[in-house]
Amino acid sequence: MSSLIMFLVAFPLAAGALLLAIKNGRLRNVVVVAAAVVVASASVATAVTFGNGEAVFFGLPFDLPASLTLGRLLLVAELAIGAFVIVVSIQNRRILAPLLVGGQIAISLYLEISGKLPEFDLSRLFWFDKLSMIMVLIIGIIGTLICVHSLGYMRDYHRSNPLIKGRRTVFFALLFIFLSAMFGLVTCNYLPAMLVFWEITTLCSFLLIGYTRTKETIGYAFDALNMNMLGGLGFSLAILLLVNGNQTLDLAELTAHAAPAVLMPALALLCLAGLTKSAQMPFSSWLLGAMYAPSPTSALLHSSTMVKAGVFLLLRLSPAIAGSNLGTLVAFTGMLTFLFVSLVAVTEQNTKKVLAYSTIGSLGLIVGCAGLGSPELIWVGMMIIIFHAIAKGLLFLVVGTIENRLYSKDMENFDTLLSRLPKVSALALTGIAGMFIAPFGIVVAKWAAIRAFLEIPGWQGAALLVIMAFGSSLTIFYWGKLLIKVLSMKCVDDAELAIEKRVSRFEWLAEGTLAAGVVAVAASLGVISDKVVGPQALATFAGTSRAFLNIEPAMLVSMIVAVLFLPVLAVWASRQRNWCDEADFYAAGRTTSPDRTMGAALGQTRSVTLRNYYLEGVVNGALVFRAGTVICGAILVALIAVGMVGR
Amino acid sequence: MNVNPVVYGVLFVFLAPVFGGLLAGMDRIISARMQSRVGPPLLQPFYDLGKLLQKNARQVNPIAEPLLLGHVGFMAATGAMLLGGTDLVFTAFVLALAALFLVLAAGSVNSPYSHAGAERELIVLLASEPFFILMLAAICKVSGASTFGGVLASPVWVAWQLPGMLLAFSFVATIKLRKSPFDISTSHHAHQELVSGLTSDMSGRLLAYVEMAHWYESAILAAFVVLFFNWAWPLGLGVFAVAYLLEILVDNSTSRAKWQLVLRSSWAVTLLLSGGNVLALFLLK
Repeated sequence: MSSLIMFLVAFPLAAGALLLAIKNGRLRNVVVVAAAVVVASASVATAVTFGNGEAVFFGLPFDLPASLTLGRLLLVAELAIGAFVIVVSIQNRRILAPLLVGGQIAISLYLEISGKLPEFDLSRLFWFDKLSMIMVLIIGIIGTLICVHSLGYMRDYHRSNPLIKGRRTVFFALLFIFLSAMFGLVTCNYLPAMLVFWEITTLCSFLLIGYTRTKETIGYAFDALNMNMLGGLGFSLAILLLVNGNQTLDLAELTAHAAPAVLMPALALLCLAGLTKSAQMPFSSWLLGAMYAPSPTSALLHSSTMVKAGVFLLLRLSPAIAGSNLGTLVAFTGMLTFLFVSLVAVTEQNTKKVLAYSTIGSLGLIVGCAGLGSPELIWVGMMIIIFHAIAKGLLFLVVGTIENRLYSKDMENFDTLLSRLPKVSALALTGIAGMFIAPFGIVVAKWAAIRAFLEIPGWQGAALLVIMAFGSSLTIFYWGKLLIKVLSMKCVDDAELAIEKRVSRFEWLAEGTLAAGVVAVAASLGVISDKVVGPQALATFAGTSRAFLNIEPAMLVSMIVAVLFLPVLAVWASRQRNWCDEADFYAAGRTTSPDRTMGAALGQTRSVTLRNYYLEGVVNGALVFRAGTVICGAILVALIAVGMVGR
Repeated sequence: MNVNPVVYGVLFVFLAPVFGGLLAGMDRIISARMQSRVGPPLLQPFYDLGKLLQKNARQVNPIAEPLLLGHVGFMAATGAMLLGGTDLVFTAFVLALAALFLVLAAGSVNSPYSHAGAERELIVLLASEPFFILMLAAICKVSGASTFGGVLASPVWVAWQLPGMLLAFSFVATIKLRKSPFDISTSHHAHQELVSGLTSDMSGRLLAYVEMAHWYESAILAAFVVLFFNWAWPLGLGVFAVAYLLEILVDNSTSRAKWQLVLRSSWAVTLLLSGGNVLALFLLK
């Protein structure tokens, strides 16, 4: 077990270093695919080795030399990260990031030099349970598929953006270094070590958002860096408080029971770190800026994995904060974020940003579940992690493919997609079905969440119900609009159909596998609940035993039907040609034809443009976003205050 | 006598169209009387349906018809699940999915009228869905049950505890039934600015599917009312009948509202009446 985890951390790191040296495109393709296969196999092997076991703790598979303590090793890593941030910030004349990272370095140096850092039992360095297993599989399988996808995407990306200087060696190196850090983060049990992995993911995100090195993207990259570094500083301060209070730095021990008042300040700061990483309000803006990064980055870091690190930490903290005021405030931050971003999303036309809002909203639901903390809600949180990682990862990749074909991310330009890019449409429909079509996936989770909210007494339960009712109805609206665009049809000629033939095989492979994965997860929902998510949820809250959703065979069949209905229908419909000869449409008596044109005055022909509603005049997206930021910001202040006084 | 709830679910699939069709027939007679006309025979909706099914449908594109079949199918499934013992809150989500299929069918065709109708039907969904989720969750909360049969067997009188919710229901049902002033997405009267909205490009059997689904939807709404009057279900049906009469009166005496008003008013009603009711429930229990 410990060798496998070490391999998962070390191998992608080595692969990343190797990729940094490879300039040849063909060789890079071979190395990336080979490394992806190895990493995916190793993650599956880890899960198989772990089996159905109880949580395990273990150390390094080898002894550290006497002169090299773990503390020093981590300090060197932190100094390196800090030095890099400071150099890049000076180059770009930024002041905030160096201050934040300086604070962290000061804390680390103080702890190391003062010798206050307590001796840590190295045999508990890693913690592997079913939550880690889920994360390792997501990173290992979905993560590597996205890397493979990037091979095709980045080629087309640079073809369609010739002014952007290609730095693909760095790009692929960063993807693999990121995978390495993520594997470390989700298996680590020692807080200072987890912080180092945490900061590496922040750095990867920063560099990937700024990939194109335009003034605009550099600005967004620094937004992301600043907010995540603030979270990182919170993480450092939490460690400092724990050390000063003679408390444990062992995550599993820290979160084994409901926390006493003395731990609350540190827990509040850790919650702050989790909220920044998962882009909850008031920190949501960085994830929207991150959408300017190439689409595989959005798929990998900003939907499937890195932002999940934030909710992963909060789910870990859940047993400690559940039932406290701190937990309630965390929950409301998440649920209100879900409501506000869903409201903003209905006014958004940029498809990637709609996906980003939806991501923030889904993460908000998980944060809500983690803050309230009960076995049922932990069940919900983990279910959303799984469904969201696979379906949203797929959707970001598909939107990337569409973007390189249509040269647009605007939802309105996706009109008649089914006729123009039939196979890509079928993949998009699978992703959308996986995200929200009842009774699959996140809808099941929302339903279970409502059931759990009914048990929460007082105004909190009522407020959560109302938030959920409105938030989840809003999601129907923006997904519905996207579906209208994807499912609309017109008659196209062969030249237009040829566009889809230029999609690379890497993209087909990754997207096809993920789409198959969506169906597979739907089909095995019952097994996942019974064998993985259910037991983990019960183990998180020791001493509870409850029955979770009973997934009947009839429900399973209906889920598979619901997921496959639209994609299969789309493939079938796009192959029909005979309707083009006869179909006209109603346009108040004008002559019309199925290529979406109609007769105008003086015998001219005009094309018809159909647009979605964005609720102008009723919902002001920018205003809602600001209001959400202010309200959740106020809650955040209260959250820190409540934590500091230990109530 | 213990009957397996699945039997009720199956019965719904076959009997709900009869219920919905008769309701539509009475609707047309009463509307006609309000307009000083005699009106068609009671069974006219069934004759119309038969006629539509026999006619050739104009194919507007290959995907509209399967989507409409999905619409009818999921609508029937929603009712079947509701009566067949599926969790009530879950049926709220399936109901939304069923309604979404109509939106997608209308949005897939090229007619601007149909497309605008689809968008507005999506707004109808957005306006009504929060209420239905809250309503079913609140009914579960007060009755302590999670299924249709469970609520009927509960000793608690649901309507007494959910007066605000019941009031809001009468408002939101007008939207869901696409009755004036909230018939923003479609209308049987072709003089509106949208012509017939989302059914503009639907003809023959396609139109028959839309009609069938609407009948199922009416029956589902009636079943919701029965949930409120769980101590005597015939009373629930009676209340539904009276409410429907009022809907017809409102339908014939008001003009169509703008979608902005529909959305704002239904959200306000849901938030104040239903939300307030839920809040009182949680605070007092």
